[in-house]
Amino acid sequence: MNRGNSNGRYFLPRPPSGDWAVFTFSIVWCLGVLLPLAGVVLFSFIRASAEGLDFRLTLEAYREIFLTGRWEVTARTIRIAATVTAVLLLISFPFALWLAKGLRSTAWKIVIWTLLTAPFFLSDTARVVIWRPVLGLMGPINSGLMELGLIERPLTWLLFSEPAVHFGLLGPFLPNMVWPIFLSLILIDDDLIEASKDIGATPWQTLRHVILPLAMPGILAGIIFSFVPMLGDDVVAKVIGGQQVLMLGGAMLDLITALNYSVAAAMSALILAIIAVLQLTLVLVLRRVGKGASLVEGLRK
Amino acid sequence: MSLALSGTALTGAVRREELMLRVGKTVAITFGCLGVVLMYGPVAWLALMSISERPLTGKPGPFTLSWYEKLFADLRWLDPLLTSLGIAAIVSILCMITATAVGRTLPHIGRTGAWLLLLFLLVLFIPGVMLGVDFVMFYRLFLGIRTGLWSLILAHFVWAFPFALLGVIVVAGRFDTRLLESAADLGAGAWRRFRDIEMPLLFPGILSAGFFGFLLSLNELPRSIYLRGGATTLPLFQWAEAASHTTMVPLIYGLSTLITIASLALTVIALRQLFKGDAA
Repeated sequence: MNRGNSNGRYFLPRPPSGDWAVFTFSIVWCLGVLLPLAGVVLFSFIRASAEGLDFRLTLEAYREIFLTGRWEVTARTIRIAATVTAVLLLISFPFALWLAKGLRSTAWKIVIWTLLTAPFFLSDTARVVIWRPVLGLMGPINSGLMELGLIERPLTWLLFSEPAVHFGLLGPFLPNMVWPIFLSLILIDDDLIEASKDIGATPWQTLRHVILPLAMPGILAGIIFSFVPMLGDDVVAKVIGGQQVLMLGGAMLDLITALNYSVAAAMSALILAIIAVLQLTLVLVLRRVGKGASLVEGLRK
Repeated sequence: MSLALSGTALTGAVRREELMLRVGKTVAITFGCLGVVLMYGPVAWLALMSISERPLTGKPGPFTLSWYEKLFADLRWLDPLLTSLGIAAIVSILCMITATAVGRTLPHIGRTGAWLLLLFLLVLFIPGVMLGVDFVMFYRLFLGIRTGLWSLILAHFVWAFPFALLGVIVVAGRFDTRLLESAADLGAGAWRRFRDIEMPLLFPGILSAGFFGFLLSLNELPRSIYLRGGATTLPLFQWAEAASHTTMVPLIYGLSTLITIASLALTVIALRQLFKGDAA
């Protein structure tokens, strides 16, 4: 339905109060959801503690982050999330490509789509907690390796270590990477790939010069959708990182428990800034590819 | 002679390309299998452990249902479960109403709709922990409202709404608005058009919005940690017990297995609803 009624032939009856509902809800959403999210920037520049708010502007919170080593937690979290995101991209792209362009069986498609969707609705704890006994000192991996005679004593770094956290993050965030890439690949017209082949391009050249550029929005979206929530992960780090690998989620909880709101706000604001830069990159790249404004159009197809 | 030579060169190139494609396909399928194992291996192993005699060793067998017996003898998880189910039901209803009210119009108002959709999807880019912290500071510290059930419902709703909205939009985008014109021509009033034409056709989307809201709320953890007030939801209970070293841990395996199976079943039902029309 065209709001401007450009063809002017018909009066298009609108469903009851549709625009009114959208308008009201958007206002409520901005005030109740986006305002609190923006407010955190303000809180990071004032003194917020259990006694209340002191509205004199100060950079105290940021100074504390950089002086007390809290910056290390942020840096470690970013490093781990970036590494895992890179590995996920490596695993996900070939898989998504096969899923979008190689797989023909409808039954398998439905099975794999379901398998890739269901994890969004499963409890993270349920999916992570089992790694503790499996990777533990007496776990099946350690005892298996010892029985094979590959190691003499249990590997202590299998659990409560950075490698363990890296490994544990792979499974829960895989669908976040596969879906956007898959969606961008399935929108590529098969004719384009055929044409590239017809004019003599090798599969590698087609991949490099046709598929990759067209899939770029999906790849970037995949990176953001895995990297961003990973920054805030508080299950994997707590359950299989233990006390050894403190990440942002745990650090935040410590700060809030200690009622140190200003520093929590400052860390939150820093992360928001990083995310904003990432998003801006995405929008700019999308605009260059020229598909920016057609989110809704894409969904309608 | 030269023709024959270039012929062999050509078949050689074709063969090399076929080989590349085959290698690529093998790599893709291997990575896919690896991915599925990474996603579902832990869940499957968890289920296996929940029926093993010594689950904390991580090794299966000998098999027993005794942990489930103990789980149903020690009902400390029941209150958190009921709290979670209650919150999930409320969030689910809220999602159905709001996602329908917004989603039915959004695909039909052009660029404005696209920008508004972006506005609603924005929260998906905020890590859950940040959202929890930000909400606590705004509502409890700044506005001075005590956190509790309401803040859990709010946080879960904010988390679930984008998914619910997408569910409705997928269906509403395919909705032929000319149907409403015809109904109006035939003299149907605004509410009649909505109730008898639009709602039945949007129903798969509305229903999936409800399912998404329910499931996302039921398993939500990062935001709940900060906004729980005095309440304990099931994921909070599971999380606290799983990270501890108490005797509850083997029971958590059984509980998590049951919740996972129920969530999987509901997800499959929701997806079937949503894509009933275009399975082929």
